[in-house]
Amino acid sequence: MSSDLVIHDLQARIGEKEILKGVNLTVRAGTIHAIMGPNGSGKSTLAHVIAGHPGYEVTGGEIWYKEHNVLELEPDERSKLGLFLAFQYPVAVPGVTVANFLRAAINAHRAQEGQDPKATAIPVAEFRKQLREGMKQLEMDESFARRYLNEGFSGGEKKRLEILQMTLLKPSMAVMDETDSGLDIDALRIVAEGVNRLAGPSMGALVITHYQRLLNYIKPQFVSVMMDGRIVRDGGPELALELEEKGYDWLREELAGAA
Amino acid sequence: MLPLMLKELTADTIAGRARAAGEPAWLIERRETAWSFFAQAAPPVWRRTDLSGLDADALSVVPGSVALSVVWDEAMAAQGVVVKPLRQALASHGELIRQYLDAAVPPLEHKFSALRAALWQDGAFVYVPRGVAAEAPIHVRYTLPEGSRTTFPRTLVIVEATAQVTVIEDFVGPDQLAPALAAPVSEIFAGPGSKVRFISVQRWGGGVYHIGGQRLLLDRDADAEWTSIALGGQVQHIEAETTLKGDGSRVNWLGATFASGTQTLLSAPWLRHVGHSAESFMQFKTVVNDTGYSVFDGMIKIERESSSTSTRLEEHALHLSPKARNDSIPGLKIDTNSVIKGGHASTSGDVEEEQLFYMQSRGISKADAKRMIVMGFFNPALDTIPLEELRRELEALIEGKI
Ligand SMILES: Nc1ncnc2c1ncn2[C@@H]1O[C@H](COP(=O)(O)OP(=O)(O)OP(=O)(O)O)[C@@H](O)[C@H]1O
Ligand SMILES: [Mg+2]
Repeated sequence: MSSDLVIHDLQARIGEKEILKGVNLTVRAGTIHAIMGPNGSGKSTLAHVIAGHPGYEVTGGEIWYKEHNVLELEPDERSKLGLFLAFQYPVAVPGVTVANFLRAAINAHRAQEGQDPKATAIPVAEFRKQLREGMKQLEMDESFARRYLNEGFSGGEKKRLEILQMTLLKPSMAVMDETDSGLDIDALRIVAEGVNRLAGPSMGALVITHYQRLLNYIKPQFVSVMMDGRIVRDGGPELALELEEKGYDWLREELAGAA
Repeated sequence: MLPLMLKELTADTIAGRARAAGEPAWLIERRETAWSFFAQAAPPVWRRTDLSGLDADALSVVPGSVALSVVWDEAMAAQGVVVKPLRQALASHGELIRQYLDAAVPPLEHKFSALRAALWQDGAFVYVPRGVAAEAPIHVRYTLPEGSRTTFPRTLVIVEATAQVTVIEDFVGPDQLAPALAAPVSEIFAGPGSKVRFISVQRWGGGVYHIGGQRLLLDRDADAEWTSIALGGQVQHIEAETTLKGDGSRVNWLGATFASGTQTLLSAPWLRHVGHSAESFMQFKTVVNDTGYSVFDGMIKIERESSSTSTRLEEHALHLSPKARNDSIPGLKIDTNSVIKGGHASTSGDVEEEQLFYMQSRGISKADAKRMIVMGFFNPALDTIPLEELRRELEALIEGKI
């Protein structure tokens, strides 16, 4: 069973606006693959379409993961398949505590068709232990567990919570949308360490970022560049360094020249 | 006793029955006065409460009894706490009842208030003497057996100075095949420096028209928490008021209403500020589903003699279906020149797509995500319920309506 994430000629729009114009990308199982690209080029849109956001209309192409046609699955089914999206802008849900939310998510993952959900639910003590350990690793205060989901969280706290969720749900393929934005130096290190603990043979990652500084911590094997709704260049880690140094104009010019 | 048709009642039959039941003269007189008011008063004009489904000519009343059960820790009797049916209390605490009954909810306000005062059958009497902390919640359940056509219960709670109590008033019963009328009155008197928690739960079965009057009267430095939960019945019209009469009195009033199916649930909670330096906070939350309709007709009234008032009102509504509606008509009436610290917040809208997507992206199904969001929305009110089992029952009822 292949667990590469394969995106083929993906096209999507929102309203009348064409955003993804034929994305081709393969994220190999167990590898770290970075995507860089200018503001507005469609990176978050790609992340949302992979996760199944209902606001985008997919007008063409395919996404395959673990032999499933991902576009046919509901967002929760995609999650249970092992896909995870760390949001660029995590959503606040007042009245739902972090702990209750996480437990519901874990239990949804453990549920088996035709079985009483109570029978597969995580034992309370086990859940508490996992939660405590995860929070400790990410240097989060235990009081966060009782707070309402992302409500009144600072930018950095929200990003840590995203990684905490990833830690507890153990996805096999994570899409991380600017997980580094809004983090101070210490938080960046803590979050990157959190990702590195998970990344490896059992988890591949598609890391969307604008900055090399994240890639100093989370070392990608592959780097792709997105511009105007397409992947326009694939390379290795050196590509990220080159972009950091020179910006995107040279690439634009090269592409214009080639056309 | 045999049921009497409402349409055949007269002041004489009512007085006759009351006399036969051994009621004191003052009460019989009040019933007669109330009935003659009822008989000549025009029906109230309630634009948002449709009573056309209730055929008054088909209604009957069984004098002298309501289906009532009270669960409480009887060991508190040793501290002087009295909990008993109101009718029994007439014999033991007649003078107290004469003083307090009708002193909070005025009987001659409109046709229905008069009807309630004329026909009340029985109810719960709670008395907590000075300085006594009645720790365990007192759970009063009114039911309406299938086939009943009316019930006229009354709750009377008298809390003396610096005493403490938690009272849960719970209207619960099966679906009715024919429309039935529930017309209760609840009066709570919080003495100086007392601490009162009052939780009212309306979870009748289908077919019930609930036309209620409730008032919480706060004396000096009294501290109250009131939770109003409305889930059941066909039509609800509750006029409720917290009167912050005493200086330094405080109330924290939370509401949770869920109208689904074809229900119409109206709450008209009023905050009336009379005393100095009184503080009030009101937060009412409403969920509507299917073709349900809910009305928040709240009012903050700042009386002339009050000063240094602090008040805040929040009302929030969540729509689960495009055909469900809610109206929110908050009012503010200020009759004083003194400075008021006040605030108001209001929201209304659908469950947010972004919230659902975020939760789904973690593996939680859409239905479960919706359920968690609604439950979270009601959390502040549900969290005040001191009985685990009651809370679970209400959660199950709410889940069934999503
Ligand atoms: N909900 C929306 N309504 C209208 N336009 C949208 C919406 N979401 C995205 N867009 C547009 O789609 C384009 C791509 O946006 P997207 O967020 O995918 O870019 P991005 O590459 O993630 O940018 P950034 O680096 O700034 O995060 C932008 O022009 C954006 O304005
Ligand atoms: Mg983006």
